[in-house]
Amino acid sequence: MRIRITKPGVLSTVQDMGRRLHLSQAVPVSGAMDTLSTRIANIAVGNAHDEAVIEFTYAAAEFVTETDILIAYAGDGATLKSGEVTIPTERPVFIPQGSVVRLVNNPAGSRTYLAIACGWDVPDVMSSKSTYTTAGIGGHEGRALQAGDILQNTKKCSPTTDDLLLKLQGTGINYPKWNITRQALLPMDKKSIRVVPANEFTWFDGCSIYDFLSSPYTLNMRSNRMGYHLDGVPIQRLMHKELLSTAVTPGTIQITGSGTPVLLMADCQTTGGYPRIAQVAAVDLPLCGQLKPGDIIIFKETSRQEAEMLYIEREEHLQKLALAVRSHF
Amino acid sequence: MPLQSPIYSQALSVYYLSEQAVTVEFGNEISDVLLHRISSFNERLQQNPFPGLQTTVPAYTTLSVFYDALTVLQATHMPGRSCFEKVQHYLLNLGEKNLSQTSSETPPINIPVCYGDDFGPDIADLASQHNLTTQQVINLHTQAIYTVYMIGFVPGFAYMGGLNEQLATPRKATPRQTIPFGSVGIADKQTGIYPLDTPGGWQIIGRTPLKLFDATRSQPSLLKAGNLVNFKSISPQEFDMYSA
Repeated sequence: MRIRITKPGVLSTVQDMGRRLHLSQAVPVSGAMDTLSTRIANIAVGNAHDEAVIEFTYAAAEFVTETDILIAYAGDGATLKSGEVTIPTERPVFIPQGSVVRLVNNPAGSRTYLAIACGWDVPDVMSSKSTYTTAGIGGHEGRALQAGDILQNTKKCSPTTDDLLLKLQGTGINYPKWNITRQALLPMDKKSIRVVPANEFTWFDGCSIYDFLSSPYTLNMRSNRMGYHLDGVPIQRLMHKELLSTAVTPGTIQITGSGTPVLLMADCQTTGGYPRIAQVAAVDLPLCGQLKPGDIIIFKETSRQEAEMLYIEREEHLQKLALAVRSHF
Repeated sequence: MPLQSPIYSQALSVYYLSEQAVTVEFGNEISDVLLHRISSFNERLQQNPFPGLQTTVPAYTTLSVFYDALTVLQATHMPGRSCFEKVQHYLLNLGEKNLSQTSSETPPINIPVCYGDDFGPDIADLASQHNLTTQQVINLHTQAIYTVYMIGFVPGFAYMGGLNEQLATPRKATPRQTIPFGSVGIADKQTGIYPLDTPGGWQIIGRTPLKLFDATRSQPSLLKAGNLVNFKSISPQEFDMYSA
């Protein structure tokens, strides 16, 4: 299965669940900004949940199918269309050779994840297929996709994928009635982000902590895959001692010298020296991956125990979903 | 009480970093003693991994431990009600055992550097700030043995301590947009080498032809925390020979 990129869009990269084994060498995790959508797209075509996907940022991208393909997509950045046909999300979709597939704007979010049956075939670099553009490694030639790039799937298909393909292939776009409802795995309020107090939480002034946990913060234009700069009430320090650089991780919220919170995302550096006020609950980090400049969020405090429990529940739920897709075919 | 285990006479603390990571804190200031404690602890953890351990990140005073939470949860022999508690318990327990001295002194890694001119645009300024000649700066920089405290900032960037106090210089007021890879810099009492073309504020005194980071190597970063390093002055001709 093969596609050719005809319009690259704002930022389209190959990503997977990230690169975690070389953090000690300061190699960032990278990986999908919205790992939940990534996994749902993979599960829907019978892939392992951590296969490589294409992460599209916003819309305006376009590709042509050079062969018949079986795909699934998830995420809120765009809706896929071929001619006048809207391709539904969160389920396997067969698209015949020679189709032009466009990404059209979806105001709900910013990123869309395209999985292909058996996963995109890009080399493993340090145990991951994720693109990290700063060092020019991973993904498709270590860079964002360009017009003319050709991407194809691997040959390592699961029996589920083979069965799905057998059932759906034909002369036109075809898909089953079922889908994996991502919404069911997410809270109603997608702009309310749960956070666990971080190690330097008590370094901040009480009123500032109250502000941080109750007032709105807006993503400013400097936000990217490394992190989001948040405009809002500045956070004051109570303790003015220096923090020696120590490990940070996607979801960490640091407070800069000027009191601005910075929410670290997938491409964040592995260590940092700004004090950390909170850590976004892992289950809510995919929500953050869908944010865009101008979006307003509110942080809500949760406990370490609660965050871990929600995380385990989510993982178990995803395992059940994968099993359900497998047993269906 | 006799000092049976001086290395772990101070209590460790373990704090939550994320659902998949904790940080072990060993102290609160940069020192070779702390670096050694962290390196030894790290080595021991690698030799005695718990189920689900993925990787560790040493820093100045901490070692962060990343793991797969589901695997940890299934490890019934690890006491604790949550992943965090299981890992915390494991690490504290690991820390209390007597340390078998495994880390042997390895010789310093020799890094060739072409100092000055286009390779080190800040060396003349830095020299005059300290009333030194350029050659004296080179001599002082090449005479010392440095210790890699941590790798951070960008892949393969080593923060090294051990700089001669006479060379300690603050970062530039305005960072440069691009510093070419291989550039050797000074910031306060530290020295470091830029592995990639990146923006940066360190005072650039020279450049090495060695590849500090190469994704195709099994160990992509040339340096790791705990390594000893020294620098050797080379000519531009030698630089070209290395690069060829």
